[in-house]
Amino acid sequence: MLAGIDYFIVIAYIVGMLLLGLYFKKFVNTSEDYFLGGKSLPFWAIGMSIVVSDIGALDFVGVSGQAYRYGVSVGNFDWVGSVPAMLLAAFIFIPYFWRGGMYTIPEYLGRRYNKSVRTIASATWILFFALDLGVLFWASAVLLNVLMGWPIWISILSTAGVVGLYTYFGGITAVIMTDVVQMIIMFVGGFALVFLGLHAVGGWENMVEKISTMGPEYQSHFDIIQPSDTTSPFPWTGILFGLTFVMANAYMIGNQSIVQRCLTAKNEWHAKASMIFGSALKMFIPILVLFPGLMAVVVHPDLADGDQALPMMIKSILPPGLVGLMFAAFFAGLMSSVDSLLNSTATLFTKDIYEPFIKKGASDKHYLKVGQITTLILLIFGVATSPISSDFPGIYVAIQTFMSYFQGPLFAILLLGIFWKRTTQWGGLSALIIGIAFAVFLNVFKEHFFHIEDPFLYISWWSFLVGFVINIVVSLCTKKHSEKELQGLVFNAKIVTENTSI
Amino acid sequence: MTEIELLNKIKTAKINRALGVFILIFGLMVLVAIAFTETFVQQMTDLVAGMVLILIGGGMFWKSQMNLVQLSTKNKSL
Repeated sequence: MLAGIDYFIVIAYIVGMLLLGLYFKKFVNTSEDYFLGGKSLPFWAIGMSIVVSDIGALDFVGVSGQAYRYGVSVGNFDWVGSVPAMLLAAFIFIPYFWRGGMYTIPEYLGRRYNKSVRTIASATWILFFALDLGVLFWASAVLLNVLMGWPIWISILSTAGVVGLYTYFGGITAVIMTDVVQMIIMFVGGFALVFLGLHAVGGWENMVEKISTMGPEYQSHFDIIQPSDTTSPFPWTGILFGLTFVMANAYMIGNQSIVQRCLTAKNEWHAKASMIFGSALKMFIPILVLFPGLMAVVVHPDLADGDQALPMMIKSILPPGLVGLMFAAFFAGLMSSVDSLLNSTATLFTKDIYEPFIKKGASDKHYLKVGQITTLILLIFGVATSPISSDFPGIYVAIQTFMSYFQGPLFAILLLGIFWKRTTQWGGLSALIIGIAFAVFLNVFKEHFFHIEDPFLYISWWSFLVGFVINIVVSLCTKKHSEKELQGLVFNAKIVTENTSI
Repeated sequence: MTEIELLNKIKTAKINRALGVFILIFGLMVLVAIAFTETFVQQMTDLVAGMVLILIGGGMFWKSQMNLVQLSTKNKSL
């Protein structure tokens, strides 16, 4: 448990976040303000928010843990697994989405393919996001329970109260701006941890020497490229095909909670710059999260669970004040994940389900209210489902894994949708359905096809490839779209700004 | 500059001012925490981290406050 000044800092951080978030209420007057921040936010804030959303507290702990177990190869996720995809998103995809005045990725898919593709994509995201909420509430509660000694239900309700209030009132502006604070604090605390950690292990070279002589399991700890027959989840083939080609692009281009941030930019230049700035910041993330994991191998060599590496390093290395600040940043990371899910799910439901299917042509105030009420309902749903995580500890990994299976086929139809005029609505629909089904099939029978412990990178690659091929084959057999229907939706064409019918 | 652009700039300045105050306060807290540290290295780390936060937060606050004064004058003249 924390004590003294650190306890005070965590409490002050939580209260401060609430007040800061509530302050943004005065900037929300329309549904565009709520879902897209009035399209007025600067690139630096969006870039920071993208990075923080990408590396939430659970990932922070998880990546350090994997660095502890497998070494530096996990850094691929933030370098080749992010930077090229973010640049591709910045220069190719984001300008189309931004100029098109879109709110959601499924909205683009609806315009490019058909309503069914839009609805399936949107419903799948809503389902995953809603399930994730309960898990994140539970994780926040456990963190507060361990650090502050609060009972679990008090912890869940206080997290839900703080995050719910500022997301309900402040919309995406509150979400992004609270992320900015979190990122600055996370970077300052993270660099302090790396500095003191290096001091504790006697410098980088000393650490490398010590780890290399610790036994055969540490021989490849400093190899960023792992052989294809490695038993770790990061063989170079999986990293190149599954991560760099598919998952990274699918995440940076097809994930609603990431792309929605870029759509809040004040102009197209800021939208592009936000991704580029975010990619520059991303390059520092492995230093902040990977190095403490490596240092923990020397400082705490006998940890039963690698995921304890970062919390143990913070506790044993950081001075009072920074311990509180880093744990506050952890908690804020969880809050950031929750508020992103709440706002993105509310946007998906309002724009892709409610507006087209339940009430078309209502007033802007009506849709703003629907967005806020959806946020509230999701909050209650998240709180109610949070105890499930305690009964099924593997549920977070299961949700994340299934989410990654959906991303391969989704990226296949996004890629062909933008770059190939000949792809048709039936091609897109069949690619999405068959691609997801194939990913589920591979997951069920993974022991028969793969020899590594968690083949999610390979499954993403193969489901992407199947979706890609199915889209081409079915598109060639079905009636192509007219030039008018494709206006502004494919590469090199100008995107129309008004809401064209699906 | 149109009125909408001006209002957007005022909004951005107000947001930055709030963020600046928040970060500044946390920088001060880290400086206070120096009193609870034991070793010289820890004290220096707290000092540097606190000063970095104070510089970022203070800078944001000062810049946005200056902008707000200028923009408010322009807004009145419109």
